[in-house]
Amino acid sequence: MGRISVVGIPRTSASTTLKRCVPRASCLVPGIVSLTIAAMTTAVAAQNGSITGTITTTAKGTAPVRVTIDQTVCGAELPGEAIVVDAQGRLANAVVIVTGVKRQHPTEPLVVNERCRFAPRVQLIAPKATVKTTSNDPILHTTNAQLGNGRSLFNVALPFAGRTISRTISGTGNVRLHCDTHPWMRGWMVVTSEAASISGADGRFTIDDVPPGTYELGVWHEALKGAPQKVTVSAGKPTDVTFQLK
Amino acid sequence: MNLLLLVASIAVAADQPQPTTVTEMWTAWCARCHAEDGSGTIAEPTVMVEPMDFTDCKVASREPDADWERAIAKGGPGVGLSPQMPAFEDSLTTAQITAFVSHIRTFCTDTVWPIGNTNFPRPLITEKAFPEDEFVIRPAISHYSERDAPSITTGSLKAVYERRFGRRSMFEIEVPFVTTNALLTRTGGLGDIALAVKHAVFSTNRQIISAGVELAMPTGDRFKDHGSGTVVFEPFISAGTMAGNWYLQAEIKEELPVDILRARRHFLYNVYAGRDTSAAPNTWTIGVELNGEDRAVAVTPQIRKGLTGTGALAASAGVMLPLTKRELQGTRWVGYLLWEYLEPVRARR
Repeated sequence: MGRISVVGIPRTSASTTLKRCVPRASCLVPGIVSLTIAAMTTAVAAQNGSITGTITTTAKGTAPVRVTIDQTVCGAELPGEAIVVDAQGRLANAVVIVTGVKRQHPTEPLVVNERCRFAPRVQLIAPKATVKTTSNDPILHTTNAQLGNGRSLFNVALPFAGRTISRTISGTGNVRLHCDTHPWMRGWMVVTSEAASISGADGRFTIDDVPPGTYELGVWHEALKGAPQKVTVSAGKPTDVTFQLK
Repeated sequence: MNLLLLVASIAVAADQPQPTTVTEMWTAWCARCHAEDGSGTIAEPTVMVEPMDFTDCKVASREPDADWERAIAKGGPGVGLSPQMPAFEDSLTTAQITAFVSHIRTFCTDTVWPIGNTNFPRPLITEKAFPEDEFVIRPAISHYSERDAPSITTGSLKAVYERRFGRRSMFEIEVPFVTTNALLTRTGGLGDIALAVKHAVFSTNRQIISAGVELAMPTGDRFKDHGSGTVVFEPFISAGTMAGNWYLQAEIKEELPVDILRARRHFLYNVYAGRDTSAAPNTWTIGVELNGEDRAVAVTPQIRKGLTGTGALAASAGVMLPLTKRELQGTRWVGYLLWEYLEPVRARR
């Protein structure tokens, strides 16, 4: 019994050491493990690449909307937002999606009725998200959400400014938003669990943290279409692509 | 830039007067689609569907308040209508929604039309007073046996078509099919086809009284016990009201055969009491009837269920148990399956 106590580690002794060790900074073992994990994560991220690019089109931008109702709130004219393109033909509000790279998008996205427009016009959301919608306008808006097949997801009235209403969506496919009292208002929620990005006013998009490999890139726009592309992402550097939508 | 927009937005919001009364809210919100006068006629409509014409009493009077309240709270899909009608349940109080229903009721100015609040759930036996547009299938099976005699089992299946006409009336066509072993061997065939008219002679928001007459024709084979063999006039009076959450309905009827050698005269009375187990259109409704025919009395416990989200399809079942003259009355299983054929069948939350 005495030999065992000297050579081996008695069970009681080991337990005591562990209990004392875990919460203390002087205990090196958990610290080393967490440092190692962090270092590995950093190394993996450094090895990943990114996809950048530009969306262009030869289509003309949508003409401004002439407002005939609620002009005191909406103004006499609103910018046409279906196709937003700059002088160089660079297209905003197009969504590029990487097939095969999972990414968490907002599960509680917010859409605001603001001066008779949906803000944002286009956003990325997670499947089965709980959509929060509100209004900053002192007039009746409705946030009417439909799937592409016309199936109604919800339609809520927002007669007062500042009230936020939540609805959880179901089904598959992108969500189209419109307002029943202001028919020009449109918004889009692109529902995806893949890595994706929305092009800005300069037509540029960036998708970071993509593991090296070959992927199919799809592109979605509310009014224009573009063909998918195959891209090969290399470790540690961006891969640049250009989409032309018609 | 965003800050400027926000400031401008707040300034606009402060300038815009907010509606406070139901009339102001109607003008500011509802009139956008339903028009100031409730007609649904708009010079530049912003919705694709044509809104209901609330000035048309045929449309505006037939539904109970609960259905209107549900449409405002849940939006069109809540009552099987267009999703372009939004849900207001997150923005309005229950009291405000109730006030909106009262406001909508003012668009129909002809008060002769019975209000849908008196359209109580159909009992199994008692004739309801409210004129309806329904198609009803009514199966029944009765069984009785006398001492030292073979038992008799009779089944019937009645197809009933009801249609409103005018402001307060409806007609009804009833086609029964009968099967019985009353003559030792089982026979089956057409029963006595009946035609009926009913007219609501009095109605308020909670009470209704109707009078009508049914004419049963001798289309069933009398010798096979499928019919009476004579024309029978059946004048009746039906009434319904609410007592708290309970539906109370009653009917008295006299059966007057033309040929009294072939059929006997009968006096019938039925009284029903029942209540819903929830406010949902597809709720369970439990009830009981007292059914009298001359000196024979029976009691019929029953249960009814809306089969769809709008309640436009419903089924009921019960059993008629004799309380007196048991030797003449057998136990009778009764039921119905009804379809309100002018109503949307499906609803969504």
